[in-house]
Amino acid sequence: MSQSIKLEVVTPERPVFSAEVAEVQFPTASRGYYGILPGHTPLMTEVGDGLLYYIQDGQKHWLTVFGGFAEVGPDRVTILARESETVDMIDLERAEASRQRALQLLKEAHTESDLAVAQAKLDASLIRLQAAGHPAGHGF
Amino acid sequence: MAGLQDIRRRIRSVKNTQQVTKAMKMISAVKLRKSQERLVALRPYASKMMEVVRRVVGRIKGDSEIQPGPAAQAFLTPREEKRIRVVLVASDKGLCGGFNANVLKAANAFVAECPSEIVHLDVVGKRATEWAKKHKITPAGEYLNIPLTGFQRVVTEISNGAAAQYHAGEIDALYVIYNYFESAVAQTPTVFRVFPMDLDRRAEGRDAVEVSHLLEPDPNAVLETLLPRFVETELLRNLLESSASEHGARMAAMDKASSNAGEMIAKLTLTMNKIRQASITNQIIEIVSGANA
Repeated sequence: MSQSIKLEVVTPERPVFSAEVAEVQFPTASRGYYGILPGHTPLMTEVGDGLLYYIQDGQKHWLTVFGGFAEVGPDRVTILARESETVDMIDLERAEASRQRALQLLKEAHTESDLAVAQAKLDASLIRLQAAGHPAGHGF
Repeated sequence: MAGLQDIRRRIRSVKNTQQVTKAMKMISAVKLRKSQERLVALRPYASKMMEVVRRVVGRIKGDSEIQPGPAAQAFLTPREEKRIRVVLVASDKGLCGGFNANVLKAANAFVAECPSEIVHLDVVGKRATEWAKKHKITPAGEYLNIPLTGFQRVVTEISNGAAAQYHAGEIDALYVIYNYFESAVAQTPTVFRVFPMDLDRRAEGRDAVEVSHLLEPDPNAVLETLLPRFVETELLRNLLESSASEHGARMAAMDKASSNAGEMIAKLTLTMNKIRQASITNQIIEIVSGANA
């Protein structure tokens, strides 16, 4: 049995990540997480918004993912994400500004849909901040 | 001398035109590169998406215990095409050679031969709108002057709408008529059926690896969300193909125009020099014969 998994993360904008890793964990649409080790049974599921981590050379690394699909095989994990970023692609200032804006929107929201949009925006910014190791992200 | 002034003026005007066409060519080259980059970036995603769809569909097909849901039906069993939705993609601006003419010709042929009724037409680009007007079709969706960054929104709108219509039984198929990007200098007008999918045709030359996947939460739920995403990706690819084709066609047309202008300038300069020479010779003859007298 192979000892590593080929993790591939692609978005419509660009291929984000591709490498051999030892372990992957990604969020699912139903708000749980899937942890994948080499030799996992073939699986196909919807990906949620949140943080994905993979372990490479004993180090834990983070990626953000926003929606999409995951396909798991014994030696591979393919994530077709709507959006995804590596930690160094995240613009901290922008994420922080977006969090402030989302908080503002949340206060002003009157209708159910406004509220949902603002909440989604806040979640997205918190995910990014958390991935980048910003203290504000830890509340998520 | 008569004519000399006129020719000078013409040369000046052709030179100005040449400057414009040269500038347009360079702008198109830059835009072509941008569209092409996005197209190239999308390809790995699109091909992975195709792979995944094929695996899931193969799984549902291969397992008699799974009842295919409405989304699976769309992939597996095309129903009789009575009413269809068509997306026509052309450009907003002209001066791009045969780009619009070709795709609109393909649209004409499609409309003439198509046995089913077009119940919903989306037009992308001003030229497509004009075509619809000429054919007395009122487009249900009109997308004009869409920048590269706005494609995603357009695509989401169309695919969500089309998927809903399909499930409601209002349409039986979704077609896109667009220019396929062969290379920077070659475009082929293409009629493409986005769904129901022709999985067998697309799988040509590739042997399907049938692995039985666990599908979470369940096969039909996965496919239900996968279908609109897949349609979106394909539509996005088509729009990008068209955009890259447009800029490629314009670049080629403007290159041709620039070199034509160059030829014209050379010809006019030759004529101008001949006339000037003739007038000088004439004057010399006059002076000489005047002196002799």
